[in-house]
Amino acid sequence: MSRRGLSASGRAQEGGDQGDIDLTPMLDVVFIMLIFFIVASTFVKEPGVDLTKSAADTTAPCLQGTIIFAVDSMGKIHYNKEKIPLDHAYRLAEAAKSETPKARFVIQADQEAPTLVVSELYDVVKPLMEGTLCYSTDFRE
Amino acid sequence: MRKRNRQAEADEAQIDLTPMLDVVFIMLIFFIVVATFLKEAGLDTNRPDSNQNPPETDATSIVVTITGDDQIWMENRRIDIRAVRANIARLLASDPEQGFSVKTEAGASNKTLAAVVDQAREAGINQVLWPSEKKQ
Repeated sequence: MSRRGLSASGRAQEGGDQGDIDLTPMLDVVFIMLIFFIVASTFVKEPGVDLTKSAADTTAPCLQGTIIFAVDSMGKIHYNKEKIPLDHAYRLAEAAKSETPKARFVIQADQEAPTLVVSELYDVVKPLMEGTLCYSTDFRE
Repeated sequence: MRKRNRQAEADEAQIDLTPMLDVVFIMLIFFIVVATFLKEAGLDTNRPDSNQNPPETDATSIVVTITGDDQIWMENRRIDIRAVRANIARLLASDPEQGFSVKTEAGASNKTLAAVVDQAREAGINQVLWPSEKKQ
C-alpha cells in the first residue's frame, strides 16, 4: 500500500531520491481505524458472573442494552463485577444512566434464580427506564 | 536511530512523523483491545406502572400465572409448559388485539418464566407485561 502511495503521490516523487517511503496513506488508514474504534467502543460494565441463562427461540438483540445487572442462581445481584445489595441498585443504575442516557437496561438471570429477585430488581430500576427491559436469554441451538 | 539519520541529512524542512505514529499506534491498539462488541440478546418485557393496577378481571387480556412451584396456570387450569403456545395462539385467534401478561409468584424460577415469555412471543404476542410480584 505504501509503495503504491509512493508512486501515486507527487510529493514523494519530488523528494524521493533518498529511498524514503511515504507514510501518509498508511497514516490515513491508521487514523480512520483509530476513529472507528474510538466511536465503536462502548464502555460496558460487565457483571462478571458466570450464568446459565435460559434459552429462548424468540431471542432478539437488545439494542443499546449496556447497563447490565445479573442475578445468579443464589439470587445475588451482580453489577460491575461486584455483588451488590438491592438497595444500591437504584443508585448504581442512576449513575450509569446519567453517564449514557441512551442506554437501556439488561437483566441477566440464571435459570435457577428466583423470579422474585429479578422482579424486585426490575421494580427498583423501573423509574429510570423509558422503554422495555431486556431480559437476557440465549439463542436456542 | 531514524531520528539521528534524519538529523544528519536534515536540511530539508520535513517533520519527523515517527513519534506521532507511535502514539497513534498505541492508541489504536488500546481501543482495539478495549472495544467490546457487546451483543446482548434477550426478550423484551414490560411492566405496568405500579400506581395503576392492572384490572384483575380484564376479559381482553391473556394472563398466565406461574406459581411458586413452577406450575403454569391459565384460565383456571394447570397447563403443561409445551401447551402454553397453543393456548395463547388459540386465545389470540379470537381477539388479536389482546394484551398479555405473565404473573409470577414467589418461588417461581426464571427458567419457567423465560419459557412462557418465549412461547408467548412465538404465538405472536408483541408486548409482554410482567407485573410486580405481590408481597405476601
